[in-house]
Amino acid sequence: MSDKNRLLQRIHAYDFTILELGLFLDTHTDNARALSARQQAQAERAELVCEYEEKYGPYILTSDDVAGDRWSWVDHPWPWDYRRED
Amino acid sequence: MWQYQKKLQFPVHIKNPDPKAAKIIITQYGGPDGEMSASLRYLSQRYSMPYNDLKGLLTDIGTEELAHFEMIAAMVHQLTRSMTEEEIKRSGFDTYFVDHTAGVYPVAASGAPWNASYIQSKGDLIADLHEDMGAEQKARATYENLLRLIDDPDIREPLKFLREREIVHYQRFGEGLRLATDRLNSKNFYACNPSFDTPCGKGTTCP
Repeated sequence: MSDKNRLLQRIHAYDFTILELGLFLDTHTDNARALSARQQAQAERAELVCEYEEKYGPYILTSDDVAGDRWSWVDHPWPWDYRRED
Repeated sequence: MWQYQKKLQFPVHIKNPDPKAAKIIITQYGGPDGEMSASLRYLSQRYSMPYNDLKGLLTDIGTEELAHFEMIAAMVHQLTRSMTEEEIKRSGFDTYFVDHTAGVYPVAASGAPWNASYIQSKGDLIADLHEDMGAEQKARATYENLLRLIDDPDIREPLKFLREREIVHYQRFGEGLRLATDRLNSKNFYACNPSFDTPCGKGTTCP
């Protein structure tokens, strides 16, 4: 696996952690440990996203992140289009 | 509203086509206990949910199910890319192929198209939350049946992830049911329907 994909995988793991803690908080709205764990995961994720974006360009999550002179939203590989070289 | 994130919740990287596996996995796309059923069930039930935290739970789980719906489609797509005509005939995928080629269409493993009668939105939160817990268990059992029949680790890993999510969602719905019943009269949860009758709950007189 390339360094780029390894970093991407770490960011995806944080995305999952944040989602999972969100579901837990839906039924434990006052749980201080889960709230602070989620905030910490968000901060750590933000650092990794910065690192990724400095090295490889935008970590595009939504069409709002498109910058530059081309509508690059349509360019990147679509998530279901796995190729062996990826 | 929703906003699309251009990634799968869990990676789907299937190297070898396997139309035989696609034919059974598609049941989690358009089958009775599949991800489309799950998402539409929870997202429809939100509107008669009187409690804010459980509106959030149905929204968040219903949204995650859409991501699972996408993962299953990605699996079916990757399993049916570059199939030969011989593979189509030998695998039994031919009955799907004649109607949909290698397109992704919501059907059960039997070929029955997705049907809204797979789901319910009862407008009664105790009935709905029990249905949701049952739905998660049925989906878990379906993933376990698929895992019995499939050996390729590229296919098994996302199926194992999805199976685990059913268990987590079941847990959260169980907690939701407890939160709801704790807010009602513990001697008789059924004294009124909190999705319909107002007021309804502890210290109120119900019809």
